[in-house]
Amino acid sequence: MTHHDVVVVGTGVAGLTAALRLAEDGARVIVLAKGVGATHLSPVTVDVLGYDPERVARPLEAVQRLIEQRPDHPYALVGPEGIRAAVAWFKERFADGPLAPYAYTGDVERNMLLPTAVGALRPSAVVPETMAGGEVGDGDVCVVGFRALKDFHPLLLTDNLNRLGAVSARGLELDLTPEGRADINALGFARAFDDPGFRGQLTIRLADRLRGDERVALPAVLGIADPHHAWADLQERLGRPVFEVPTLPPSVPGMRVFATLRERLRRAGGRVVLNNVVTGADRAAGRVTAVRARVGLRDVVYGADWVVAATGGFASGGLELDSRWVGHETALGLPVSGIPAVGSDRFRADYFDSHPMGRAGVAVDGDQRPVDATGAQVFENVLVAGATLAGAEPWREKSGDGLSLATGHRAAEIILAESGARAGAAAAGIGG
Amino acid sequence: MTALRADVLVIGGGATGAAAAWDAALRGFDVVLVDRADLAEGTSGRFHGLLHSGGRYVVKDRLAAEECVAENVILRRVIPHCIEDTGGLFVTTPDDDPAYADRFLQGCEETELPAEEIPVAEALRAERRLNPRISRAIRVPDASIDIWKTVWSLATGAAEHGARILTYHKVIDLHSADGAVTGARVRHEQTGEELDIEAGFTLNASGAWAAQIVRMAGIEGIGVIPGKGIMIAMNHRLVNTVINRCTMPADGDILVPIRTISAIGTTDIRAADPDEIPVTQDEVDQMLDDGDRLVPGLRQARALRVWAGARPLFQDERSGPAAADTRDVSRTHAVVDHAERDGVRGLLTMSGGKLTTMRLMAQDLVDAMCRQLGTERPSRTEHERPPGAEDGEYMRLGSRLRRREETLQDEQLICECELIGRGRLEEAMRNSGTANLDDIRRRLRLGMGPCQGGFCIYRATGIEHAIERLDGAEASASLLSFLRERWKGVWPILYGDQLRQARLDDWIFQGLLDVEHLPEGAPVASTEEPAPV
Repeated sequence: MTHHDVVVVGTGVAGLTAALRLAEDGARVIVLAKGVGATHLSPVTVDVLGYDPERVARPLEAVQRLIEQRPDHPYALVGPEGIRAAVAWFKERFADGPLAPYAYTGDVERNMLLPTAVGALRPSAVVPETMAGGEVGDGDVCVVGFRALKDFHPLLLTDNLNRLGAVSARGLELDLTPEGRADINALGFARAFDDPGFRGQLTIRLADRLRGDERVALPAVLGIADPHHAWADLQERLGRPVFEVPTLPPSVPGMRVFATLRERLRRAGGRVVLNNVVTGADRAAGRVTAVRARVGLRDVVYGADWVVAATGGFASGGLELDSRWVGHETALGLPVSGIPAVGSDRFRADYFDSHPMGRAGVAVDGDQRPVDATGAQVFENVLVAGATLAGAEPWREKSGDGLSLATGHRAAEIILAESGARAGAAAAGIGG
Repeated sequence: MTALRADVLVIGGGATGAAAAWDAALRGFDVVLVDRADLAEGTSGRFHGLLHSGGRYVVKDRLAAEECVAENVILRRVIPHCIEDTGGLFVTTPDDDPAYADRFLQGCEETELPAEEIPVAEALRAERRLNPRISRAIRVPDASIDIWKTVWSLATGAAEHGARILTYHKVIDLHSADGAVTGARVRHEQTGEELDIEAGFTLNASGAWAAQIVRMAGIEGIGVIPGKGIMIAMNHRLVNTVINRCTMPADGDILVPIRTISAIGTTDIRAADPDEIPVTQDEVDQMLDDGDRLVPGLRQARALRVWAGARPLFQDERSGPAAADTRDVSRTHAVVDHAERDGVRGLLTMSGGKLTTMRLMAQDLVDAMCRQLGTERPSRTEHERPPGAEDGEYMRLGSRLRRREETLQDEQLICECELIGRGRLEEAMRNSGTANLDDIRRRLRLGMGPCQGGFCIYRATGIEHAIERLDGAEASASLLSFLRERWKGVWPILYGDQLRQARLDDWIFQGLLDVEHLPEGAPVASTEEPAPV
């Protein structure tokens, strides 16, 4: 049996953030996951808070109000200062990361309004530099899509954008196919955009079709190996600002985040191990002593001083509801709260309503320790982060990756502080 | 106000109406068919997909069984392309009386239903998920039938013989003159435009809505009890043979493999209004327990959708009070002759019946019309095949995949779950006469697979907009309307993997696309009830 200071379960933004933050301070960390996480599905823009339920312009101020109204919201665990610290930390990870100078830009004090692939305007605080140019403001936009990329429809996008009256936009759909195939997904296009030859072909196609000082919007597929240079090179070739619009999974910007955090974790001495389905824990005296994982047909035991549960919510399989309407946390069997009792409504009849089931998740105390229905702590050395937490509907609030980032970051801070204290004020590193 | 003239007006675009239009058109009548919504959007599109062998009725309703035995053979002959020859099994579960199987076999013999008892081990070898504790198994010629394909095929066939098919045209009044119905006024449900249809004869094939129609002609005393039947589509084919419990017909005793799913059904509960048949949590739970009895572990399998249909169970004040359980009302159909009953000529109503006997029902209806008109034109539907059935082959599960594989590199796949290519989607959008994504869904099965439109509906919206079927406002409204419609059929079964899928779809539509903050646009007409898979 191996032993680590911290076993992190889950490799989305919350898990990777917690792991990296810990490893950077010298903790021996391993990340166990069944497969890649929500980074490959989500645009990974840092949405702190977009709606409350009105559209939010100043996210940190709105978070403060939200916490006062809803003390059970997971943002209450971190507070505005926790968000600010986590976002600053996250931005720094890119500044000198493996994809540098690819960077995140923006300010947690202020939301940008960025067009979505269907042409709505979505509030977001901190986004990849390649997306920030989409902020609604002055300047016309030409949205360019590709017939071979079925997950991005420029004409629909521009038509809706024009209906909002916020900007003047028009769309172009090009018949440019990187590999001559009719059906290529976002990742296929991203690989093509890493190739200067493909960017040159695009430039030729667009040269005489762009007008005045139009900005150019493209689906978020501008490179996966070296996205900064793919984007900067296109801006130079076209002689005008270019920005990315996130679209359906697979998410290229999310993969860039995964690659960055995982590589930095590796350099800091930690690692991500996939194909590990965590099935339970060994426990003693209110503590988890080891995490059990199924790897293929084998069971592997990972000893741990600390465990961070960041397996995601119902979308990721971290939480499950069975057909008798009982909720389960799938990795460690933590209690799930917020599931309406049998006989009461779990969902409302209108899809866009807020549903009673929406906020179900693992409830925690102020230090992110899971608690049971009576509020009693379940394990003293397990912390929960990200979409597993009860109390939020991030897809409605547009708080998704902000929540994961801030609670993942704080889980690490808590472990570092407590293990440091336990080891004695003079001792460096953590241990337990 | 525009006007239309026809020999025959058929009211209702379900299986019976489409079959009546096909039958009448083949006999040389000039036909107009109207439906207030899309074809097969009412009861027909909300059943389980079972083409009865007749086994379900052999003990209880001999006449119904005999009709099914005959019609099963005829439909296999004339619309094989809509039928998958799955075969069926009647099995005795530990909760059933083993002696019923003897009565069942005797009933089969008397109705000439080709049934054969097989060793339990053989049944279990063929269907490995079947409850291993069954004590008897009897093989019958059940099959599954794709109802949309059937209704569209018959309607297209009718149209090729001159019939005009008007969907989204609701009858708002019947015209009468000299004691006869002479046509109807209809309203286009999307444009609001009204249209008068003059018809020599009117056939009321509106099923659960039939009483509402005849009242427009001043006819009282006919009631239709909507019998609510709920069904749950399970992802995957849990079985490849239709499985029936060998017992008196009850709730949740049929499991039908159809296309890539299996449907578990059904209930029979009196409802007040055919337009208001909500599915309750208890019903879902009961259905899952019933399904678990046939296929242990069904509760752990992934449920895709739930829907409810309103069976039209007729009551005529002149033939006595209603039975308490709608299942006891005969499923055998009858033509109500309003000339005889009410002194109103030119109007016939089809009452009762079942999907399996739709062709016979249509034939009886048109025969009755011919008698009243004093003309002799025999039905041809017993042998004539509608378009699509030319090669005489049954529908096969793998045929869509086989066709798809031929164009794998050359054509975009828009709906991965149901293997719908871009060409087929664009063609359907251009030719369907509707821009409603929900209508396209029924035509092609778009968004009916495991992801329930999570990926393909954004794509389809974009394509529909790009080929200029819809402007931005309409496309957006259509997308929102689709999401709302889909939700009605999924939320009662959201647990396990389907909840996971639904939450991923939330992240896509709300988290990523923010569709709920699209600018408001003109609404696209939609239906109110959970729609079938």
